[in-house]
Amino acid sequence: MAERKLILEHAHDPAYRTLDGYLAKGGYEALKKALKMERQAIIDEVKTSGLRGRGGAGFPTWIKWNGIPKEKSDKLHYVLCNADEGEPGTFKDKQIMEQTPYLLIEGMTIAGLATQGDRGYIYIRGEFIDAARSLRNAIDQAYAKGYLGKNILGSGRDFDLFIHLGAGSYECGEESALMSSLMGERGMPRLKFPHAPLPTISGLWDSPTLINNVETYACAPFIIKNGGEWYSTLGASTKNSRGTKIFSVSGHVNNPGNFEIEFGTSLKELLEMAGGVKGGKLKACVPGGSSVPIINAEAVDRAIIGYEEMADVKSMVGSGGCMFLNEHTCIVTFIWRTALFYANESCGKCTPCREGTRWMLQILDRIRQGKGQQGDIELLEEVCSQIDGRSFCGLGDAAAWPVQGAIRVFREEFEYFIANGRSIVTSEPSLVMAP
Amino acid sequence: MSELVQLGAPHDRPRPPRADELNLRFSEQGIHELEALKTHYPDLKSCILPGLWIAQREYGGFLDGAAIAEVAHRLNRSYAEVEGVATFYTMYNTAHKPGKHKLELCTCLSCHLCGSYRLRDYIKSKLGISHGETTEDGLFTMEEVECLDACDRAPLMQVGDQYYGPLDEAKLDALIDQLRNTEGSTVVKMADEIVQVHLRDVERHK
Repeated sequence: MAERKLILEHAHDPAYRTLDGYLAKGGYEALKKALKMERQAIIDEVKTSGLRGRGGAGFPTWIKWNGIPKEKSDKLHYVLCNADEGEPGTFKDKQIMEQTPYLLIEGMTIAGLATQGDRGYIYIRGEFIDAARSLRNAIDQAYAKGYLGKNILGSGRDFDLFIHLGAGSYECGEESALMSSLMGERGMPRLKFPHAPLPTISGLWDSPTLINNVETYACAPFIIKNGGEWYSTLGASTKNSRGTKIFSVSGHVNNPGNFEIEFGTSLKELLEMAGGVKGGKLKACVPGGSSVPIINAEAVDRAIIGYEEMADVKSMVGSGGCMFLNEHTCIVTFIWRTALFYANESCGKCTPCREGTRWMLQILDRIRQGKGQQGDIELLEEVCSQIDGRSFCGLGDAAAWPVQGAIRVFREEFEYFIANGRSIVTSEPSLVMAP
Repeated sequence: MSELVQLGAPHDRPRPPRADELNLRFSEQGIHELEALKTHYPDLKSCILPGLWIAQREYGGFLDGAAIAEVAHRLNRSYAEVEGVATFYTMYNTAHKPGKHKLELCTCLSCHLCGSYRLRDYIKSKLGISHGETTEDGLFTMEEVECLDACDRAPLMQVGDQYYGPLDEAKLDALIDQLRNTEGSTVVKMADEIVQVHLRDVERHK
């Protein structure tokens, strides 16, 4: 299959970043349609579409939308966008915000209509200043022309949209930590359901809050405009993944970039879209961002992109940050760098993650320096098993999975490094520099 | 065993100013912007992050004790609370006063695959600075950072409000020359840009 562009169809057209250019390409037709629909009908279209969260977890989107109380109390309803894209290897939200900002704005406005939202916040990671500038410009134009603010398009409905920037923290991409951060706290996760109410009941400032990823909101205009039924025909060859997904391809490929594909496309086709492997033969792939388990070239050959299908190769769709590694890559060094990332980004709230990520790093660091000891692999596995499922939020799990996956698939590389004090990769690393 | 690689820099915290030492330095513009931001949130606590961005600009790119105290004072929060927030986030400069330009080199996964550690070593040989260090002339600070999420442009570096990549030694030379001839501090410019994108055009300080 080739690319199937919905969100990115007009991404390279600078006019699409202006309100007039967006309107000329059929922009805001979905909002106009939604303004005439019952709230529940909007949610039902999203349900029919089969849309699942594009931030990494793949949670059915309509359940969140449907979870916002239908009867409004004196509390405001918030529509929150998770634009704290931080997963190594992922850069799709960046492109959406920079090049198709109105899709996000329109999607959030529609979500506001469906959930009686009063205010929306887009929480963008602090580094993404270009993305924030593009959105700022788009939001200002939308306000000026009555697409945001009071009495949207004369409908009597109000919706305000604010931009809030983070200040450098991977953990803030976790939804409860993101809310902590937006409310002016350290970006640490909060107690979750069933120990605390769902964010749809009590999120930002104890009020009902709908939170979705950038790409998820950007899908909404297409679903409303063309119908959920139509959207659900995309990706119909997969078990339970519908629509298109943007994959960010990077690493050792000739043509890195974002590629929007229909679910059911093979990973090999995605690699071909990115121009194939650079600098040698394919060795491995991290298909969905740093948190998902690494797979080898043989698995790349048979992997089909879909939330359930990727489990067949013991990996995940994740956030779509797909990194390809060529034969000159030392897996031990690569996993050491992954472990360093998680040790740096662990927020420190819970012990399994704070200590576990550090221990994993220490063990991998000594292996990398040629001082590995017999039993280190088992020790790593033990530490992973003590983090996985035991940390306060998903960061701990995400730190354990790549290490577990790498040991499962490339165990002999770890064994070789420990036994010989050096990497199994002996070819001149033209692209990968061991630090 | 050998010393553990470390990105976060250990540091002593500055002493907070006493109440009678409080010296408010926000410009008229900064005060105006903070007032506009207060209308974006239902409480003052939520203004801490944007307030710190204003402070980072107003205090020349560095959040010392006085800067944190001013944010705390203006938002009616405690010094400890604001300092706790500021030190959590890597983009607030709370550890050391940075140089005029901060070279934030990504060494995370895709950049690592594409040779960013080679560039790190090149910066060390060219400018003599490693992670967390500043050149003697105060022009450049080097920091290794985690994924900047523009991996299609790896190896990548952020300086101020701009991303530069894919980089090699020649492009790095050209960039450093360009920065030497840049008038203002890109660290301050970044903080200013971040404040501005929070505000609607009608809310900006004219």
